[in-house]
Amino acid sequence: MVEHKERGYVRMKQNSMLAMVLAGGRGSRLKDLTNKVAKPAVSFGGKYKIIDFPLSNCANSGIDVVGVLTQYESVLLNSYASAGRIWGLDSKDSGVFVLPPREKADTGLDVYRGTADAISQNIDFIDSYDPEYLLILSGDHIYKMNYYKMLQFHQENKADATIAVIGVPKKEASRFGIMNTYEDGRIYEFEEKPEHPKSNLASMGIYIFNWKALRKMLVADMKSKTSSHDFGKDIIPSMLADGKTLFAYKFKGYWKDVGTIDSLWEANMDLLDDNNDLDLSDDSWKIYTDDATEMPQYIGPNADVVNAYITQGCRIEGEVKNSVLFTGTEVHEKAKVNDTVLMNGAVVGKGAKVTRALICPNVKIADGAVVGSADSENILLVSKDVKKGDK
Amino acid sequence: MANVFGIIAPAGTHVQVQGLQDYRPVSAFSFLGRYRMIDFPVSNFSNSNIERIHVYASQNPRSLAEHLGSGRTYNINSKRGKLQLLFNQDSTVNTIYNTDILAYTENLHIIERMHQPYVVITPANMIFKQDFGKLLQDHIDSGADITLLYHRVSNAKESFRNCFTVNLNRQKGVTSIENNECNASDKNIFMETYVMKKDLFVDLIRTANKVSSIFRLVDVINMENEELDIRGIAHKGYFAAVTDFKSFYDANMELLDYNIASELFTDEWPIYTRTTDSCPVRYACCSKVKNSMVANGCIIEGQVENSIVGRGVTIKKGAVVKNSIIMGHCVIEKDIILENQVVDKWAKIKNVKELKSTSDMPGYIKRNDVI
Repeated sequence: MVEHKERGYVRMKQNSMLAMVLAGGRGSRLKDLTNKVAKPAVSFGGKYKIIDFPLSNCANSGIDVVGVLTQYESVLLNSYASAGRIWGLDSKDSGVFVLPPREKADTGLDVYRGTADAISQNIDFIDSYDPEYLLILSGDHIYKMNYYKMLQFHQENKADATIAVIGVPKKEASRFGIMNTYEDGRIYEFEEKPEHPKSNLASMGIYIFNWKALRKMLVADMKSKTSSHDFGKDIIPSMLADGKTLFAYKFKGYWKDVGTIDSLWEANMDLLDDNNDLDLSDDSWKIYTDDATEMPQYIGPNADVVNAYITQGCRIEGEVKNSVLFTGTEVHEKAKVNDTVLMNGAVVGKGAKVTRALICPNVKIADGAVVGSADSENILLVSKDVKKGDK
Repeated sequence: MANVFGIIAPAGTHVQVQGLQDYRPVSAFSFLGRYRMIDFPVSNFSNSNIERIHVYASQNPRSLAEHLGSGRTYNINSKRGKLQLLFNQDSTVNTIYNTDILAYTENLHIIERMHQPYVVITPANMIFKQDFGKLLQDHIDSGADITLLYHRVSNAKESFRNCFTVNLNRQKGVTSIENNECNASDKNIFMETYVMKKDLFVDLIRTANKVSSIFRLVDVINMENEELDIRGIAHKGYFAAVTDFKSFYDANMELLDYNIASELFTDEWPIYTRTTDSCPVRYACCSKVKNSMVANGCIIEGQVENSIVGRGVTIKKGAVVKNSIIMGHCVIEKDIILENQVVDKWAKIKNVKELKSTSDMPGYIKRNDVI
């Protein structure tokens, strides 16, 4: 990025909106899966990483400059996200910039204290592009969305902020941040996990702000001793209290926050539903990811592959049913893999049986071993090699 | 490596692949569902740390140019390295004029300008792995003027038609290069891979031009054989030569043997190709797939056996595909039966009930065709 002498800011290629992706969370409910990697770097759907979704959405929506705010176990995530070419965000006036907490001249090194604080600590970065609008995204949601359409909605309503919402089943609404709106979509109230929800419009954690106005609020918020420096808890409620115009942008389609092992497994299984709205085969809105240098998948002479989602580099010699197989997995002869997600490089040995499980990357299930059961309540997470006879 | 550059030679007129070649040069042929032929020589160069590469293209270079792009997918340093497409105008008067020497002559100023003292020349119609760095070192150590790479085969009678063979003396000196007359089983098939000094290469191009307008590089080397120290080095490992339609089909089919495929594709010697960002393969509830290679982006509802399925292919319910190569983006409609077919890209098979050929003479369906 080169600052223009006269303009005093760096040019963005196409439009006036810059995106910031919040990717610092650990996702501790994903247990061993996020011991070594941050949640946005967790693999999904055979060949993808979760962060491919917001970044591909940005690229497809014509957003050229994306900051990725990282914190927890970010080595892998930082090196991955900084390769903007993966999503085509590598032209002269575009880029993906990884922004972990850093020491500055006037402040010491500090962690990001909340979602709003992560943005506040990078005001200098955002200012250098002088955007009119700022788009805030989560790095750990799976969905396809055209942010440009959301920006148009924001502009048409002359809103101070626009929040993307999705209709959730009424009985689940108390798990979410709920937006209560007038008929025209204007938000009059925000309730975090309400006991008795008035509406079913859950916040997706996607916000568009007018940058100059948000900047002022963030500067004030940084100084506040009582604030938790969070968009949902502090910034949005205080905007509503100030009588600002906030609109809810209703999103229809597939959206999943994969918070737990069960929901990550489920999201993978959704790909086996031919009517799923995510439709990764849609050429007009591709999800880009780092390509693996692997040969095509090989299905052996005695294999039995039924209702499965399998990517390149896999070798199948046994039975695979109702399962999703990630890059470079192997299922050996007479093995049975049912209702299971095999992550990158997992190996199921000869005659082994794997049922209702999520097998972590590079884990080996030895010949003849039995893992998981068809009537288990929860999905079994396997993060260590399994020998025959292991429980 | 700073002292050598690579050339991927234009396919000679002895390479005649019916059908496929009407649409693209051999180098751009789709191979094993996800690759193009050119990926193998370029990956060989890249893995050998040879990052200055000339690729020759004559007719229909569109798909080749698109595929190679900036060369980034091949792990070539984008500043120090360069993947350069060189074009030449083929003669329309008579194809005998369309020699590799003609292509080199038209680009002679570029060859002369190269800083590297050595050149490795390799073809795009042959599939093999070779460490060219090691080959160059062996060449330098031997003190030879030219080193040729060959592969010892025992089926030269029925295969490797239109290939050259090298005759060697006991010291591995090359006594002559001939056409494979398919008259004996044991032959040294010439892999059309040469190592020599750049200056000698330029001299040979000039000499060839003086002697005959239809001279090829092999002809001039044969002629100069008395004057030059030419040696052969035997190649080990997987080797396939695509010189006609049948050999293209066989080379693909042979790799359905996983042991053979895993010899060619190893972690230490990656074969790079351009991604199309297609999603994983969806196998439906009614799919039945045996002994096949399937590239990403496919939807498989039917039966597939001993076949290679390219990117983004749809095989509908009840369809049966056996011993066939289905190239990218084809659609095989419900209940259609295909045996021993090569179906070129974007074709739709929907009206015929059944297409069966023998594995000796596989059938060919044209690109974009609807039948």
